[in-house]
Amino acid sequence: MKLIKSIVRPNKVDEVKDALAKLNISGMTVTEVRGHGKQKGHTAIYRGKEYNVSLLPKMEVEIVVNDSLADEAIKAIVEAARTGEIGDGRVFVFPVLESYRIRTGEKDA
Amino acid sequence: MSTTQPGAGSAIKVALDAAREALRGDVARGAGGRAALEQHADRVDALLRALYAEAGGPERAVAIIALGGYGRRHLCLHSDIDLLLLFDGRIGPSEERFLRAFLHPLWDVGVVVGHQVRELDEFADLETDNPEFLLALLDARLVAGAAGLFERLGAMFHTAATHAYILQSLLALIEERHARFNATLYQLEPDVKEAPGALRDLMAARTIAAMTDPLLLQRGPADPGRLEEAEDFLLRVRSLLHLEAERNQNVLSHELQERTAEVLGYPGAEPRQRVERLMSDYFRHARTVSRMLEWIRRTAPTPVGSNLGLSRDGIRFLDPVQAARTPSSWIAAFQAAIDAGAGVTDEALSCIQQHVARYRPEDFTPEPRDRTAFLRLLKPRPGLYARLSQMHDCGLLGRLFPEFEAVSWRVVRDFYHKYTVDEHTLLTIRNFERLVSTQEPNRERFKTVAAGLPSPELLVLALLLHDVGKWRDDEHALESVRMAAEALDRLQVPFDARDTVLFLIRNHLQMSLVAFRRDTEDPGIVKEFGRLLGTEDRLKMLCLMTLADIEAVSPDTLTPWKEELIWRLYVDTYNDLTQRYADELIERNQAGLLELQLGRPDDLPEAEITRFLEGLPKRYLQLFPREAIYRHVRLARNIGSDEVHVSLEQNDAVWTLSVVTLDKPFLFSNICGVLSSFGMNILRGQALTNPNGLVLDVFQFTDDERFLELNVDAGVQVLHVLQDVVSGCADVTALLRGREQSVLHSRGAPRVVPVVRADNDASERYTIVDIVAGNALGLLYRISRVISRHGCSVELVLISTEGERAIDVFHITKAGVKLTEAEQRALTSDLQSTLEGIL
Repeated sequence: MKLIKSIVRPNKVDEVKDALAKLNISGMTVTEVRGHGKQKGHTAIYRGKEYNVSLLPKMEVEIVVNDSLADEAIKAIVEAARTGEIGDGRVFVFPVLESYRIRTGEKDA
Repeated sequence: MSTTQPGAGSAIKVALDAAREALRGDVARGAGGRAALEQHADRVDALLRALYAEAGGPERAVAIIALGGYGRRHLCLHSDIDLLLLFDGRIGPSEERFLRAFLHPLWDVGVVVGHQVRELDEFADLETDNPEFLLALLDARLVAGAAGLFERLGAMFHTAATHAYILQSLLALIEERHARFNATLYQLEPDVKEAPGALRDLMAARTIAAMTDPLLLQRGPADPGRLEEAEDFLLRVRSLLHLEAERNQNVLSHELQERTAEVLGYPGAEPRQRVERLMSDYFRHARTVSRMLEWIRRTAPTPVGSNLGLSRDGIRFLDPVQAARTPSSWIAAFQAAIDAGAGVTDEALSCIQQHVARYRPEDFTPEPRDRTAFLRLLKPRPGLYARLSQMHDCGLLGRLFPEFEAVSWRVVRDFYHKYTVDEHTLLTIRNFERLVSTQEPNRERFKTVAAGLPSPELLVLALLLHDVGKWRDDEHALESVRMAAEALDRLQVPFDARDTVLFLIRNHLQMSLVAFRRDTEDPGIVKEFGRLLGTEDRLKMLCLMTLADIEAVSPDTLTPWKEELIWRLYVDTYNDLTQRYADELIERNQAGLLELQLGRPDDLPEAEITRFLEGLPKRYLQLFPREAIYRHVRLARNIGSDEVHVSLEQNDAVWTLSVVTLDKPFLFSNICGVLSSFGMNILRGQALTNPNGLVLDVFQFTDDERFLELNVDAGVQVLHVLQDVVSGCADVTALLRGREQSVLHSRGAPRVVPVVRADNDASERYTIVDIVAGNALGLLYRISRVISRHGCSVELVLISTEGERAIDVFHITKAGVKLTEAEQRALTSDLQSTLEGIL
């Protein structure tokens, strides 16, 4: 199993969700996050005064999928979240050792 | 010298002596209490009526009115006879003759008359230099003369403002009087009229109750019967003091105590024993009076409006029966509660709840002033949510807005909303109310936006109605607009305000949609959003509405993350609206142009409108209503060089000056200078230029020195000075010099730290100069003069003020192009120095 954690533009979350749904991936955790990568934020000006906007609002989408589905899921996320501009985000992939269902205590295969 | 018949004086003397003799008899028997004094007052009434009849009526109606103790019919043997002689109009020779004929016989027989001679009109304004007279007027009683005149006096005198003033004065007088007696009622030789616990305190308790809540006397610490007993006792003692001393003597001295105890029949072998019993009775009664007065002073509601009082548990109707009959007074109760930082009492809410179903929505705001008062109620400030919730709980809000009633307790099942639609709606108002006075540092930026709203009550009205369409299960925003339009029509909300409220309701989900689901880094998305809004005011309102709405969904819905997205969209859109609008000019096939042409008045040919509009920024069409645009077109007609065409309109306290002329150096600063030279405080405005050099400047200002109001031809005068200054015949600097040097307008250290920033990237054609500074007389003049001195041309200006801050955005060029870096630096440095008061 793989944990796929993607940081995407807030306005791209719906498209990512739709793309994953097409792969029958419906379980996910979506979190509002703030941060920056290469984009590093920028300076906003309001009424002549400069405001440093260093941490940008992003969305984090986490899914856990079988190894066999991981590549397809990553591809779907990247395609759905891409605009081609700086600030499109990142996808991180982690190995998952074990997974348990809390309600029943049953271990997932 | 008396002018009455020779026999009149003696007849009066006979009658007066008889009256006094009868009272002496009663008093000597120890029966000089209330009944005897009332009888005496009746006899004096009869005597005055006879005198009135004999004196012959004057030309103008007159009323002989008993005041104070005589008005209450508590007339002691040597009390002054306090009278008001009231005339219906100016006092002339005929009235003076009447006064002589009426008063001289009284003086001749030695009656001490405390008289006031007044014309009715004198009561039009509250008299604040003689509170004792106002107190005496509370006991006014018609003895003889014109009953209609007496009634008119009552109507003029008994107003909420007068009662409030009398009450305040009375409380101060009580304090002063008690201080004279060292604030104790236990005096060995008490003054039975003035001392604490004596007759004046008793009257004060009754007066306060009468003016605030008559039922207080029933609910006080002592049985009402005991107060009556105390009064009768005190009057009997006082009567005896007058009889024994043969003058207006009210101190129960040691010598008089023995005689009083004897006449009043106190038992005891020794005079000392009788006196002790008398004084023990005195202190018992005085304590009853004193306790009652203290209780009433603590408990009485303070009058805060017509039939409204503020008591410890909140705002109440002083007369619930009257309140039940006048639904138009109910909203005032909630307004008074907000003003006092209190609630509306349960009794008042029950009264409304019991009767609200009898009335139609219009009955609560029948007059224009009631409708204005309702909008004023909606101004966001602490207590608004709580009072609106009370209005809702007692059924008033739902009756006032049947549209709102449709979503009462309405449950919409979704994953997000935690409350019924009505409570969600009221919570949006609570959130806005909290934002306006928030102390949270991370909310400060939105608080500043809220502080800049010219009519925040319109946002509250929009919040109140934004979800009324949710009685349906499908798309609710449009249904809310339809229903809200009916409510706004009923309230007769002015056209512009109605338009704004409906816009906000229609688009109340748009900012969330764009902020959270669109790529706001795409300038095209921001521009499109800006186009939808049109003006900064609408942007501000929609931004705050969005925040308040999201926060009311559930306690966790509005996260700092969402706030950040909304803020960024706000800033980007604000910059687009203020800095980039000049790049989009009105074209021949512009949207909105067709409607403008179709609705044009007969005197305006299509070509003239087109010629005027072409080349102006598109934003112009959103900034001004259609009628204003037609007015501008007319002003531009046949304009020649050095000519100035002007229109001046007033709307409440705000004046709008529209100026059309042809561009020339220093034009903008000259116009600003002229307005400042007349003391006008410029609040908002736009300066626009079209490619043909036609200039349209529109200023909204307040006339703080009331120049336009106090001078008949003031408008003409302003126009002449403008004409002279623009054509170069007069120097505005000279006009302003006196004002600039006046201590009244001394600028001192600026309280708002000035910010000046030039930007060459925002607009395609112009250098943008953003200026934020403390608002001051002549500020725009000084700024624009510096800009002109640098050889720059002022093409477009947006002027706004928020409280003491002036926010101005100048679009400028030099020799037709943007400024170089060096030119920008030189200009901003000069501007900064000017604003800091260095230059």
